[in-house]
Amino acid sequence: MSRFAWLAICLVVLSALTVVGLVHVPDAAAQKKVLNIAAKEPDTLDPHSSTLGQSQAISRFMFRGLTRFAIKDGKVTTAEVEPDLAESWTLSPEGTIWTIKLKKGVQFHKGYGEMTAEDVKFSFERQISKAPGTRYGVNLDVIKSIEVVNPQTVQIVLKAFDPIFLLRMVGYQQGYIVSKKAMEKLGDGFKWNPVGTGPFYFDRHSPREKIVLKAFDKFVGGRPQTDEVNWFDVPEDATKLIGLEKGTFDLLYPEVVTADFADQVKKMGSIIDRRGPGGQERFYVNMTKPPFDDIRVRKAFMHAIDRKAIKETMYPGDLARLATSCVPPGYFGHVPMKFPEYNPELAKKLLAEAGHPNGFTIKNFFISKSFFYPKVLTLAQEQLKKVGINVELQIVEHATYHENIRKNLDPFVLYGGTRITDADAWLSLFFESTEIPDPATGNKGTNFAHYKGMDDLLAAGRVERDVKKRAAIYAETQKRLERDLVCLPLQDVPNQWARNPKRVSAPFSPDYGEFSLHYSYNYPEMLKVLN
Amino acid sequence: MFQYALRRLLIAVPMLLGAMTIVFVAMRILPGDPCVAMMGDQATGGALADCTRNLGLDRPLAVQYVDYLWRSVQFDFGKSFRQGYPVSDYIGRMFPHTFVLVMASAVVAALVGIPIGIISALKRRSPLIDYPLRIIALLGLSMPVFWLGILLLIVFSLHFDLFPLIGGGDLDGVIAMIGSGEVLSYPWDFLRAVGDVLHHLVLPAFALGFTLAATVSRLSRSAMLEVISQDYIRTARAKGQRERLVVYKHALRNMMVPLLTIIGIFVAIALTGTVLTETVFTRPGLGKMLVDAIGARDYPLAQGAITVFTMIIIVVNLVVDLLYAVVDPRITFR
Repeated sequence: MSRFAWLAICLVVLSALTVVGLVHVPDAAAQKKVLNIAAKEPDTLDPHSSTLGQSQAISRFMFRGLTRFAIKDGKVTTAEVEPDLAESWTLSPEGTIWTIKLKKGVQFHKGYGEMTAEDVKFSFERQISKAPGTRYGVNLDVIKSIEVVNPQTVQIVLKAFDPIFLLRMVGYQQGYIVSKKAMEKLGDGFKWNPVGTGPFYFDRHSPREKIVLKAFDKFVGGRPQTDEVNWFDVPEDATKLIGLEKGTFDLLYPEVVTADFADQVKKMGSIIDRRGPGGQERFYVNMTKPPFDDIRVRKAFMHAIDRKAIKETMYPGDLARLATSCVPPGYFGHVPMKFPEYNPELAKKLLAEAGHPNGFTIKNFFISKSFFYPKVLTLAQEQLKKVGINVELQIVEHATYHENIRKNLDPFVLYGGTRITDADAWLSLFFESTEIPDPATGNKGTNFAHYKGMDDLLAAGRVERDVKKRAAIYAETQKRLERDLVCLPLQDVPNQWARNPKRVSAPFSPDYGEFSLHYSYNYPEMLKVLN
Repeated sequence: MFQYALRRLLIAVPMLLGAMTIVFVAMRILPGDPCVAMMGDQATGGALADCTRNLGLDRPLAVQYVDYLWRSVQFDFGKSFRQGYPVSDYIGRMFPHTFVLVMASAVVAALVGIPIGIISALKRRSPLIDYPLRIIALLGLSMPVFWLGILLLIVFSLHFDLFPLIGGGDLDGVIAMIGSGEVLSYPWDFLRAVGDVLHHLVLPAFALGFTLAATVSRLSRSAMLEVISQDYIRTARAKGQRERLVVYKHALRNMMVPLLTIIGIFVAIALTGTVLTETVFTRPGLGKMLVDAIGARDYPLAQGAITVFTMIIIVVNLVVDLLYAVVDPRITFR
């Protein structure tokens, strides 16, 4: 037989096998309610260990906390909480001892038994003791000790009164309860064999392909309607969109929602679920670095930035909201602030008054090449140029950017992110003097403005038990920021997922019907697969 | 031949050591701290210090380097900083996906590129044949694989629904069935799994293979042009042999040596091409894994992947060198 005949035979066999692969074999899987999600692959399934959005989003499917964000008037709010795994709680008169009674009969996945006070103690203590890999221990530093009173009761003693303690207990980041038995048995393996009390349990992980979750029959809130969740690793938004149109995916967790992305979603009959408060994109101006140590230069900087133009270019229409405060809406203590209006002429005048009639040049300004950073900074660069402030950009890897801004290499810093939804948590990180980054001492904090003007108010807010008085304290912090001009918020960008409404229904309004943090759906068990 | 192969393998050791040293140093020179990359905007001073200690990055560089080399000798590349999986296991799971993609795209590149190159060389004085073929080759060179990939997905996956959008098929299942001997017990299941893998492979292999075919066709065209200008071809034609015989019997055989060289280069190009192909088609594989590892400053994963890539290229080039003697008996090894 000639070589060509062999080649032909090989091709025929390969084609035949491919056709075999094309043949659809109906099986029980077709009857199941399967939710297909396109997102990036999480870096771990240990809920206390990852800061990535996709990891936190999938954690909510498998884990729960003692409290949860309250559902009020058909909406989920982030400012109030209600019991979840906890049944009730009491606070001692001096405000430092929380006695928490747990719900009975809450089961862990995979036969790890009933959740007890031991699991609660373990979940928090592993983070407080900074077990390798854990990230959120800092949010539990207020805890002095944890005592197991009985299997259904745990007592948490605080170092001092903490007004946001119940918010810290929410099923989010540090608040998730993990199985002590599973963690002790699996050790490092827990990362990819997680055991929680959430509506779905982990079934399997095919690296770089997908994670499969299955409905948990013994979920405390009742078995979810969805039988299986396939979490596909799809890094490209273009592929995600094709998959949504084709029906391969029901829900998309996009990298960036642009106007084009939103249009395409709309055209194919799908919808975007918008969730506040999302992330805020903002500038911090280092008030100790010349020439920004002069308030006139900071004011000129703010007059030079056309926030509306940046917002409309980046997120036209309702893709984002123009930011109204240095504390985002949805956070306790938020009040609207006033910022210098866009006025390049006034900016030039202020610069001249400050001794910079011809403006100035900022050399080697570092900016991340990822996410929104390069686009926003390029727009700002053009606007600043009009008043004589020339910014010479150095585009670097995201990790390098984070490193450089902690070395104070940029005189103003573009930043994003989400925190526990209370002004104290937010302001402490970005404006408390202990968070000023300093390469000499190794402090890698995030007070990029080098601000020292609200330590007294933050301290007062932490001991105040009257809600109204606390709100007044944080209103005052925002007034000081207005006065000192160290922060210029640009836009509040909601968490946005695309959903095929013909395949999946969600109980809350797509338009800010839920507030959430890094994840988008507070209650994934309420998502219903329609066919 | 055995001695030659042994000598080449011994030479490969310092090459591999050099590559491993370069990647170790390069990862450390690259700005960006792995802990900062992992924690992003949640990084606080204390947390960063803890993370650095937990990952062993607080040890002197020399200690880290020796540790890395010693572990690598035992095929232990450590654990991924990010995901915690042992790197060797991770690479072991990704490698088959990349391997089948490279092999399949090699088939496409050879089936498309070599005939185009040969016909283009033989019909170089016929603009109606040569020019369109060269335009096809130019198209392949000009079309980035991510663009062609998206186009193929829109047409053949979305509109005609002929091929799956994502994934690599049940390759793990195929390997498991071969390993456990279930192939013989469940031959139809096995064939269906193989079919599924091939079904998932068609579009990515075509996208990568077509862009590589352009390079292959240009290289085979110039190889064929060189061969057909040799004296023995003129002699064969002068003897009155038919053109088909001249090409298949004399020219093609002598073209094999430069073609083998092309295959050596091809593997290196194909491996780099898998990065984008695996990303666009959302296939698991080494290429995408490597880029993600570098971006995340996941030192063990990046070091392990580059070491494996280097080993593949060394082995392929050794095999190619050994094959020279098979296709051309005039070549001997010293």
